[in-house]
This record gives sequence, structure tokens and C-alpha cells, in this order.
Amino acid sequence: MTEIFKAEVDRRTLLRRAAAVGLMATPAVGMLSACVGGSDDNSTKQSTGTKSADNPLGIDPKAGVEIIIFNGGLGTAYATDVDTPLFNKKWPDAKITYSTTEQISTVVQPRINAGTPPDMINNSGSNLMDFGAIVKAGQAADLTDLFAAPSWDVSGKTVADTLVPGAVEQGTYDGKPFAMNYSFTVFGLWYNKKLFDSKSWKIPTTWADFTALCDTIKAAGITPFGFAGANASYYMVRALLTSAAKIGTEQALKDIDNLKPGAWTADPIKKAAAAWGEIGNKYINKTFLGLKHTEVQLQQDQDKLAFYPCGSWLENEQSKDTPPTFEYAVAAYPSVTASDQLPATAINAAAGEIYFAAAKGKNPQGGKEYIRGMLSKEAALGFTKLTKSLTVVAGAADGQTISPGLTSANDLLGKAGKDVFMGYLFDTWYKKLDDESRAAANDLMFKGGDADKFCQRMEAASQAVAKDSSVTKFTRS
Amino acid sequence: MTNLTSVPGADVVPAAPAKSAGRKPGVKREVNALTGMAHIGLILWALATAGPLIWVVLASFKTNTEIFLGKPFALPESWSFKTYADAWTEAHVGRYFLNSVIVVLLSTAGTMLLGSMAAYVLARYRFWGNRFIYYLFVSGLAFPTFMALGPLFYILKNMGLLGTYTGLVLVYIAYSLPFTVFFLAAFFKTLPYEIEEAATVDGASHTRKFFQIMMPMARSGLVSITIFNIVGQWNQYLLPVVVISGPGADQKMLLTQGIAQISVSAGYHAQWSTLFAALTLSILPMIVVYAIFQRQIQAGLTAGAVK
Amino acid sequence: MRHGKYPFIIGFLVVPVALYCTFVVAAYLQSFQLSLTSWSGFGAIKYIGFENFQKLWNDDLFWKSLRHNLFLLILLPLVTVALALVIAFLLNVGGSSRGGQTRGVRGSKAYRIIFFFPQLLALAIVAVIFQRVFGPDKSGMINGLFPESWSPWLFLADERWAMTCILIVLIWQAVGFYVVLFSAGMGSIPAEIYEAAALDGATRIKLFFRITIPLLWGTIQVAWVYLGIAAFDAFALVNIMTVDRGGPNGASSVLSLMIYRNTFEFSQVGYASAIGVVLFFLTLTFAALTLRVTRRESVEA
Repeated sequence: MTEIFKAEVDRRTLLRRAAAVGLMATPAVGMLSACVGGSDDNSTKQSTGTKSADNPLGIDPKAGVEIIIFNGGLGTAYATDVDTPLFNKKWPDAKITYSTTEQISTVVQPRINAGTPPDMINNSGSNLMDFGAIVKAGQAADLTDLFAAPSWDVSGKTVADTLVPGAVEQGTYDGKPFAMNYSFTVFGLWYNKKLFDSKSWKIPTTWADFTALCDTIKAAGITPFGFAGANASYYMVRALLTSAAKIGTEQALKDIDNLKPGAWTADPIKKAAAAWGEIGNKYINKTFLGLKHTEVQLQQDQDKLAFYPCGSWLENEQSKDTPPTFEYAVAAYPSVTASDQLPATAINAAAGEIYFAAAKGKNPQGGKEYIRGMLSKEAALGFTKLTKSLTVVAGAADGQTISPGLTSANDLLGKAGKDVFMGYLFDTWYKKLDDESRAAANDLMFKGGDADKFCQRMEAASQAVAKDSSVTKFTRS
Repeated sequence: MTNLTSVPGADVVPAAPAKSAGRKPGVKREVNALTGMAHIGLILWALATAGPLIWVVLASFKTNTEIFLGKPFALPESWSFKTYADAWTEAHVGRYFLNSVIVVLLSTAGTMLLGSMAAYVLARYRFWGNRFIYYLFVSGLAFPTFMALGPLFYILKNMGLLGTYTGLVLVYIAYSLPFTVFFLAAFFKTLPYEIEEAATVDGASHTRKFFQIMMPMARSGLVSITIFNIVGQWNQYLLPVVVISGPGADQKMLLTQGIAQISVSAGYHAQWSTLFAALTLSILPMIVVYAIFQRQIQAGLTAGAVK
Repeated sequence: MRHGKYPFIIGFLVVPVALYCTFVVAAYLQSFQLSLTSWSGFGAIKYIGFENFQKLWNDDLFWKSLRHNLFLLILLPLVTVALALVIAFLLNVGGSSRGGQTRGVRGSKAYRIIFFFPQLLALAIVAVIFQRVFGPDKSGMINGLFPESWSPWLFLADERWAMTCILIVLIWQAVGFYVVLFSAGMGSIPAEIYEAAALDGATRIKLFFRITIPLLWGTIQVAWVYLGIAAFDAFALVNIMTVDRGGPNGASSVLSLMIYRNTFEFSQVGYASAIGVVLFFLTLTFAALTLRVTRRESVEA
């Protein structure tokens, strides 16, 4: 500790002396790295307790836990009203210090670098931190012990056992789990069940049916399909890649994630791009390029838009503006070709909402214990009730009728059976590639539907990332 | 600022209606055309300026659907003040406004004092290192502020000033110095030396000369730069985000942070009308203050040196 | 009689300079040093020399953003100063004469208050407002004013016009401030000058160009430099208003946005710092050039 103090005093004196003379001594390299990069001599003392059957993560029952929750579409009530009381019921002496923000990166990243991060962090929102970089810098705690620990309230099972398949893998980097992805989202084409029922419009399963239906919808004066180009074109990217996966199985997406050469110009991607490009050409409202997601979603609520590609958070996000004539329902994307390798009922569903424990915080084990609480069936049900969103805790919401959209999503999951695939990860791994995919999707759908251009552009971007040595790489199998 | 003499009061026309008495016949046609065009032009610009603001006030009473799908200047369906109540409590507009006022007052005072001190010395005294220090300050104008955010965080942390108003005020002053020093130095250079020399002969010390002679002479320049600083610091967003962070920052945030937070939040929770209500609440006091002080500001800006 | 010049100088300089060096210079030097690294924002720092600058040279988006900044740089000061001068002139001198003395228009005080409004708004708010103004469908303010039969203009979603929309917003916000400034400056021009010129038969327009502008030159210079610096920024507007953060397809990207995204989204702090260094030298060059080119002897009335 004395070394740290001494270093700080030296820096300050140096600055003062330099300032008084009006000369600036160039800061030494040492000063720079001590200031800005996570300093190595800054080891905080971390709380530990004794492990036991009741305390599998070995937390200190008296040590406080600092958590920070992102305040977005899911709100924060699940943390304050469900998770924290649940945690404190078991550990009444461990005080939870709670804070919330809409800008995780701006608020938390400096603290991580300074070595004083909160213990449990909800890394989400459009201003989220690059989690891959956090993992590579050793700032995220290894969650292996968390997933191997017994479940909070399901006896005889470990935490990992209680989760839906693929949940743990999604947070795994280089073989170890670092992130807990909590909410489970079903992606698909969302529509107004009441509207479709009243017009006897049937949900299409083949692409020909889909385009025929779009023609009918267009004739009725409603925009058949649309998405928000201004800030949510990644919804379109997901729609496109889901179709690609249905054509060529999830392997097509894994190749993209692994930056394999030719991954973007492969047949499934080309076919999907061509099919969707046609939809863009004929059925999309060009003004949507300049609209944000709330605006497009409002249009759908007013029955000005029929199909909207989105995830199951949509219903909750629009809850304040949904008129009584609107009932949310979701459909699987129709098969693109007759030779699709996955059936029409296959859907893309994935866990999202990263929660992780900071490795260098004061109480990382406490942070993990909080997450363990969140993964209890009781907390998961509470979360679903508040946010109308499913969690990765399997079966936590079974038997509950919470809302039409949720029921529809659950339904879809049931019909899909084992044909549920997680999708892709390059959007969190390689931000520049993610960026490019958004622009390319906008171009494809709003500016003429040139599938070849889309594929070539993404291929070039993908290879540029592969060659860029300053970007850390990940792989998945 | 150029060195102008002025007759105080020769500035703005009172709002009395113009009568046709006493106009020169030859210039009459030109004057009419010009006045007419002037009115049209000014009204157009006033509409362009006030239009969006009227829209904001209207929107603060509307639902999302009305805002995004309805006609822009249509009247809202209901005039409930719920959004204003929400904005006040949720957005803490009252508290943030006060915080902003305190911080900006302190910072501007500090900036003007220290800035004029530095500018005066740099402008009117010759000494070794003068040019270097001057250019050091001036080059600060060219720095993009948010480049400094990351390192600034650590500097403040190491000094224990994170999350404090002391830290924020010091930072505001430091970042306002380049502009202040640059322009005040130019201004001080233009002030005459005779009065100062007379004072020296009378035995006045440097400090006394500065505070009792030079500052009053520089009033018009000082007033304009003060206004520049107040407006700039009032709208400052990036610096408070860095400094006022961490636990407990909620209470201390400034108005710009609060509004930005709601606007980001509106993007997620789609509470646009609350955002606009918060906006209206934050604009109103500023308009009132500006209207009240307009005469003083005007007078300050036009006061010149007395020869 | 010296009265100890040096203690006075040091006494007056030490606090401002110390403050400045601690909080500003130190921060910038550190960020300059970062431009020579490949730091991601987390973990260890690796020095890579001038590689970032090489990358910058080959980066299409960088050149696009630079062009956009230059676009703003040329037009923002020009249009804002011109507009502000004209409006201030109208306010001060555009009214009907009374007894040979030129006056401003009626209600100029009210006008002045209204015109100053935009300055009181934080840029983030202005961005939100103008998103609605430029809304690409019928509910947008401008589109809503067009006749029903016109198809809506895309504004920000149109690659050709996105940057112009940004420029318009910047001008909208800036003009009011400079109107007040110029108006005050004009007001301090003694009435006798105008009267003398008017007696000689000069029209208002001639008065404007031959008298008002030269006397305001210092103020105009200040305004120009300040607006130019703003043109190198424009971050808040572009970040909030544009399609896809700088789109569509980079059509509205600016350097400051690139810095922000590289720092906070792409975890390429080293690269972002390199852009910052370039931005710094550009701004410096602009300021120095402007002041040199527009230098005139200060005019005394």
C-alpha cells in the first residue's frame, strides 16, 4: 500500500513543479501505464468466507455487494423488487449497494480500469462495454464455480442443470464461462393477432405464401414488412441470418462468427439476401430508413405495419402505447427454399442480457452469489412477471399466463422442439463487423436489394477484421 | 474586441411604434421597403426559432402515438400535467437545475478571475516564457475535449476529486481558460497605456492597477467573455459525465446530465412526453432570467472605454 | 519604478497555469501518447509506433469524415455570421427613421429574446427536436407542412442531404448568440457616424458594408474562429440525429464521432487517440490561418 501512496505523491509533485516553471516534463511511460491501464500494483483485498453446502461459493455473509443494473427495456424493478429481497432473505447481513444507469460503458468502464469496479454488473444497452475485451483483460470473474454450484431453490440440481440448453455456452469465451446471459428471447416476425384474425390472414410457412400474403396486405393499404433503419437495422440482420441458418443450418452462422473466408458469400447467405432483398424492394416503406425503432413500433401498434422482425421484449417495450385492438403474436420465419435444411418451425432463440462479476472487485464471490439468486426459479418467475420476458431458467414460467405475446413465444418454442438455434455472436465479438452489417442491411433493404453487393461487402469487411491484428479474436465450435 | 468609443444608450430602439413624422421624403421609399423586408425576415426567423420550441411544449402533453404519427402542431388530446409531475420527480429537474446554477456561477467567477489575471500579465508584461505560456493556453482551443475524458478521469481519481463539485469547478475553470485567456489577452492589448502609466507614477502597485484601473476599462470585453463562458459551461455535458460519476452521483448531477439521461431513457422506455416536459421545465427559468437581465447584458456589452 | 514585477507576474500566473496544466495539458499529453499504442481500453498497453496513423491514412471512413468536417468548416461560420449580421443589422438599423436618426425595427427586444432561445438548449435536446423536424415521413414537421401529394423527403435518411441537415441545425442553434453579440457591437457604434453617412446620401446597405462590418471586424473574427472550432466537433448532433450513427453508410460521419465510437464501441482507444491528434492539428491550423488571414488593424471610430 505504501508503494501506491508514494507513486501518487510523486506524480502530483512532478506536475506541480512542472507547472510552476511553465515547462512540461514529458510524462514517463511509467506514469502513463500507471494512470490509464489497469495498474497491477493495485490489488484490492477481496472478501471471502468458508465454503459449505449452504454457501457453495464461499462468500463472506457480512460483506456488502455492489451491483449496477442497466435501466432499459427491461427496467430495474426485477432487481430492486425481486432479486435483492430474495438475496437478503438468505444473507441478511450482506448489504446490497444498488445503482442504475443508461450508459454502462461511460459509468463502469473507467471504474474497471481504475481497479474499483462494482461486484455485479449488468452489461447491456447500446452503450454497453465490449465484453470480449473485458474477458481478455482478465476483468471478468470465471463463473465455472457458479454454474457448478447447487441451484438456489431446486434441490438436487446444479445451476447449469436448471438452465435451458445453450445458456451456459453463450457466455463462454475460450472454453470458460464468464457471462451469465439471463433473459431468453425468442426472435421472429411479430404481428397483430387480432388484425390478422379479422382479415383471415394465415401465417405463411413458405416464401411463396409469404410474398403472396404481403401482396394482399399491401393491397389493404398496410405496409407488409418494415424495420427501423435509423437505429435498429440489426433486427434486419438477424432476420436475414435466421433465414440463412434455416437454409444451411447454424453452421453457416458459425462460419461467419469464425471469420472463415467465403462465409458471407456462401450459398445460404446469398439465397437469404436475395429473398429478403426482394421483400425490401417490393414491400418496405422507404421512409423507415430514417425512423427509430420506437417510431416504427408505434406504427405497427396503429396497424400501419403488418410484420416486424423483433424479439420477445417488444410487447413489454410497447406496453404503454398498445391499443386494445392490438394483440402481440410471433411467427417463425417462413422457409426460403424447398430444400431448407431446417424445418419451417425452426426458430432463433437466444439468451441475452449479460450479467457478470468483476474479477477485481471487492467482493466477486458476492457478485456471483447474487447471480446465483437470480437463477433461482423464484427470481426467474418474478423477472418474467415484471418484464414479460422469459429467462434461461427452464420451466420457470410454465403454467403462467402472463401476456399474449409471451404465450405466443412460448408456443413457438414448443413447436420448434429441438430446432432452436442460438444464432451468431459476431455482433458482440467484432463491433466493426456488426456496424458494417447494419449499414449493409439498410443498403440491401432500402436501396435496391442487391444481394451480391451485400455478400461481397460483408465478406470484405469480415476479412479485414480477420487480418487486423489489433482486434482480439474468438472462435466457436 | 475593437476599441470603440460609444455613447451609452445609442443602442437599441425603444419598442414605441414608429410614426411617420419627420421622415426625409427622398429616403422614404427605401426606408419602407427595407422596414417591410426587415419585418418579414425577422418574423420568418422568429418562427423558425420558436417553432420547434412550441412543438416541444405541445408534445409534452401528447402521447407517443400523437407525437410520432399525428400532425406536428395539432393540439394534444388532453392537457394533463402528469408528464410535468413525472419530469419533476423522475428527472429531478428542480434539483439538477440548482446544481447547474451553483456550479456554473462558481466556475464562471473563477474562470473570469483567473483568466483575466493570466491574460493581463501575458498581454502587457514582457518576461521570459511569456510566449510559451501564451501558446500553451491558446493551443488548448484546438483540443477536442472528449479526447481528454479518459485521462481526466484518472487525474481526478488520483487527486481524490471524483464525484465532487470542487473537482468539477476546477475542471470547468481549467477547460475554459484557453478561450478566456486568448480573447482577454487580445482585448487587454488594445487598452491604452497612458492611464496605467499615470497610475504607476502615482505609486500604484501592479495589483492595484489591475483591479482598480484595468478591469473597469475592460468591462465590455469582460462582460462578453463572461456570457460566452456562462453559456458554454451551462451546456457542458461531457465533463460532468466524467467527473460526477460513481456512487452518490445521482444527487449531484447537472441539468445537462439529467436531460441527457431522460432522453436516453426515452429511447428505451419511450417516455417522450416526459422528456419534453422536463425540457420545457428547464428552459422556462432560463428564458425568464435572460429576459430580466437583457438590459444589463446589453449595457455591459456596449459599454466602452472612456477616452 | 518597477514595484517588483516578477513576484506580481508569477503570483498572477501560478494558479491559472497550474490548474490548466494539471487538468488539461496532462490529460491531452496522455491521450497523445495513447495514439502510439494499440490499447483497447482494458488491460495492458502495447506501443506500436505510428501504425495507427498508417491505418488512418488507408481508412475510407476517415477521409469521408474529414470531408464532412471541412464541409461544416467552410459553411458554418460563413452562413452563421452572414445571417447573424443581417439579422442584427435589421434589428438595430432596419426600422423607420425618426428625425433623421436610424432606428431598429419595432419589437427588437422581443425578437432578441426569441432569437437567443436556441443557445439555452443543450445540444442533445436540439438533436431530439430536429429529429422530429426532419422526420422522414408525414409526421415530421417539415414534411407535415408540405402538401399531401408530395412524397415525403428523406432528409437525414438521404445520403446526399444528411450532412446539410446537420449544418442547418448547427446554424439554427448558433445564430441567436451571434445576433446578440453583433447587435451589441453595432449598438456601440455611435449614431453620429451613421448620421454623417446618411447625410452624405449613403443607403442603409452601403452603411452596412462600409461602416458596420469594418467596425465589427474583431468580433467577427472571434465568431469565425469559435464557429470553426464547433465545426470540428458536431459530435452530439451526429450521434443522436443520424441514421445508424454517422450514416446512412457514413454519409454523416464526422471525426469526433469516429473518436467516440472507436473509444467506446470498438475498443480501439489507440486508434481513436490517433484521430484525436489529427483533429488537434487540423483545428490548430484552422485557427492560426483564420487569425492571420483576417488580421486587420483594429479600427478606431
